[in-house]
Amino acid sequence: MLKILIPTLMLIPTTWLTPKSWVWTTTTAQSLAIALLSLTWLKWTSETGWSTSGPYMATDPLSTPLLVLTCWLLPLMILASQNHISPEPINRQRSYITLLILLQTFLIMAFGATEIIMFYIMFEATLIPTLIIITRWGNQTERLNAGTYFLFYTLAGSLPLLVALLMTQKDMGTLSMLIIQHTKPTNLLSWGDKIWWVGCLLAFLVKMPLYGVHLWLPKAHVEAPIAGSMVLAAVLLKLGGYGMMRITIMLDPLTKELAYPFIILALWGIIMTGSICLRQTDLKSLIAYSSVSHMGLVAGGILIQTPWGFTGAIILMIAHGLVSSALFCLANTNYERTHSRTLLLTRGLQMILPLMATWWFIANLANLALPPLPNLMGELAIITSLFSWSPWTIVSTGLGTLITAGYSLYMFLMTQRGPTPLHTISLHPSHTREHLLMAMHLIPVLLLVLKPELMWGVCH
Amino acid sequence: MNPYVLTTLILSLGLGTTLTFASSHWLLAWMGLEINTMAIIPLMAQQHHPRATEATTKYFLTQATAAAMILFASTMNAWTMGDWNINQISHPLATTTVTLALALKIGLAPMHFWLPEVLQGLNLTTGLVLSTWQKLAPFALILQISQNTNPALLTTLGVMSALVGGWGGLNQTQLRKLLAYSSIAHLGWMIIILQFMPALTLLNLTIYITMTSTMFLSLKIMASTKINSLALAWPKTPTLTTLIMLSLLSLGGLPPLTGFMPKWLILQELAKQDLPITATIMAMSALLSLFFYLRLCYTTTLTTFPNTNNTTSPWRLKSTQITLPLTITIILTLMLLPVTPAITTMF
Repeated sequence: MLKILIPTLMLIPTTWLTPKSWVWTTTTAQSLAIALLSLTWLKWTSETGWSTSGPYMATDPLSTPLLVLTCWLLPLMILASQNHISPEPINRQRSYITLLILLQTFLIMAFGATEIIMFYIMFEATLIPTLIIITRWGNQTERLNAGTYFLFYTLAGSLPLLVALLMTQKDMGTLSMLIIQHTKPTNLLSWGDKIWWVGCLLAFLVKMPLYGVHLWLPKAHVEAPIAGSMVLAAVLLKLGGYGMMRITIMLDPLTKELAYPFIILALWGIIMTGSICLRQTDLKSLIAYSSVSHMGLVAGGILIQTPWGFTGAIILMIAHGLVSSALFCLANTNYERTHSRTLLLTRGLQMILPLMATWWFIANLANLALPPLPNLMGELAIITSLFSWSPWTIVSTGLGTLITAGYSLYMFLMTQRGPTPLHTISLHPSHTREHLLMAMHLIPVLLLVLKPELMWGVCH
Repeated sequence: MNPYVLTTLILSLGLGTTLTFASSHWLLAWMGLEINTMAIIPLMAQQHHPRATEATTKYFLTQATAAAMILFASTMNAWTMGDWNINQISHPLATTTVTLALALKIGLAPMHFWLPEVLQGLNLTTGLVLSTWQKLAPFALILQISQNTNPALLTTLGVMSALVGGWGGLNQTQLRKLLAYSSIAHLGWMIIILQFMPALTLLNLTIYITMTSTMFLSLKIMASTKINSLALAWPKTPTLTTLIMLSLLSLGGLPPLTGFMPKWLILQELAKQDLPITATIMAMSALLSLFFYLRLCYTTTLTTFPNTNNTTSPWRLKSTQITLPLTITIILTLMLLPVTPAITTMF
């Protein structure tokens, strides 16, 4: 673990000591090297599942795909930010990169933690760099409100989690994930225990987000600059999913009854947020609501606690992370040229930026879960397991799939096809950097079609 | 102020606190508290401004009342129980009275009403002394009577202070009043754990003193007492404004900054004592305080206030003030969380 953590921390001196013209090159190269090094974690060597273990950190087949995703995303974030940060003074550019690196460090420590309290502290620690990225480098006045919503929704969920975890530590004596996976299921019947169950899960449900507590997400995703949106969509939401998967191990057998309202909310949320997407005028808001929709499916998959549900959840998290981040990068290419997120203003781009249209096409196809992409693998696994849990769920999941296809097609047709308005014909052509960015997002998605075992290691 | 007078007053402040620390007899403790009050009165009134005079008067009246109540309670205990020893105070009426008196001395709700107005009338240095040094002597007494106190009273004081501190600070634009309410909220956290683990009260007090010193010293360097002037401070000291933002988040109790440590340990102890509801209420009240700290972060660092062109590039002259204490307290405010185990062994 230190092989990755120390180079990541050392990126901070790199950022501050490199001469001005080499900062972006050096940080991108070094973070890419770290990302490639993190791929070594994908080899699971031990029978128990936990490998590369130290006293407080370890990796197992559940956390490894998310860790690799996190490490892979840092060079992409730096690539994406290069253009919009370049007008600023060099020290502010360095501060921005430092924030991204700090966020990366906390995320690696969160996914690699074996003590649940350490996971909690790192989970909360990611809030501060994200808050600063959104509120300092966002572009509209609404970013302050977005930062407040982001911080307070997450904290209102996670403070009860802290109390619940401390109660657990008092009862079980330990909060190490290695030990908790082997404890007997506890007999929990009273109202207090039910509230404890909600306390354990609420933070992660807010983070995922679940439909009823999702209001922070459209604000935060829309107001954040591109690196903020990327890391929020790709990784921070997955913190919620990962936390849920870890915590539900100790929450049985309460989950069988208590999960009902949350599963219903998740399924209803898929349809509702999907429908909202069809009526959005703001491109980033559309992608943000699509994130809520996909994560509703993930939440449903995790809450029913079957092997296929978990597998589908983890596959969908990885695939959605890459694809959603790719969509935000595409939306950013539009934003950098027109400084507007309105869908109506950036129409008919296939005529002007044909190569980017290819990436739009692939990203939207991935978003609507086209076979054989991993998005479909995940969705199918979750839909099947939900169907076996209750046949009625096929109504909402099927309808959700249809609506997802609908708004993905809508997004593609609105931005690419149709008549090109006259004010867009003088847009700058696509940069190689942008093509590289999109390639680095979407080629892993395509490659994962060939070896999905890398992702679903939990239940082979 | 005349340097001899200033020296006498500062040394008297030291004397008063030391007397209270060193005493085991209630009368000597009371004397120390009174010496502290007397010594700080001229420091508070040195500005000859009506507001300063008003603050001084209010402070004197409340502190004298509290000291008189302490005298009364200890006398009552001596009369009924026959003991003047500080930690042997056992008559229930005496313990309740002395707890309320000490709560009035430090500014716990519902005896907190004097603190914002008094702090507002002082300059930043005296405000620093009031918020940090003047809390030490009463806390020495509070820690010593911790076993004999009424649990319900302490819990009420704690929860009410945390809530009042959170809600009261929401409407403030004057930084000293805001820091007063933040003080009240932190005192609430300190008191709630007193009955279970007094060491955590002391730890919370130490960390609170560090964080509040950071805030007062930084405000002194930037010479700002209102949110408006704090908002225009970023061109003068960009690094300091960033560090202030992080210190504010530390005051709010966000990991991975130091301010999280006392909250975490207190919640852990409350959980161990089977008080999850109290723990959750305290944790949620911290969110109220966090809101106005976040608003300060926004105005200080994360947004650029409207200003004229030449204020964005002022001469960055070397400060004539001593910055070493601020350096030390800032580092402690931001970086102590990883060494929590070492710190808990010290208390």
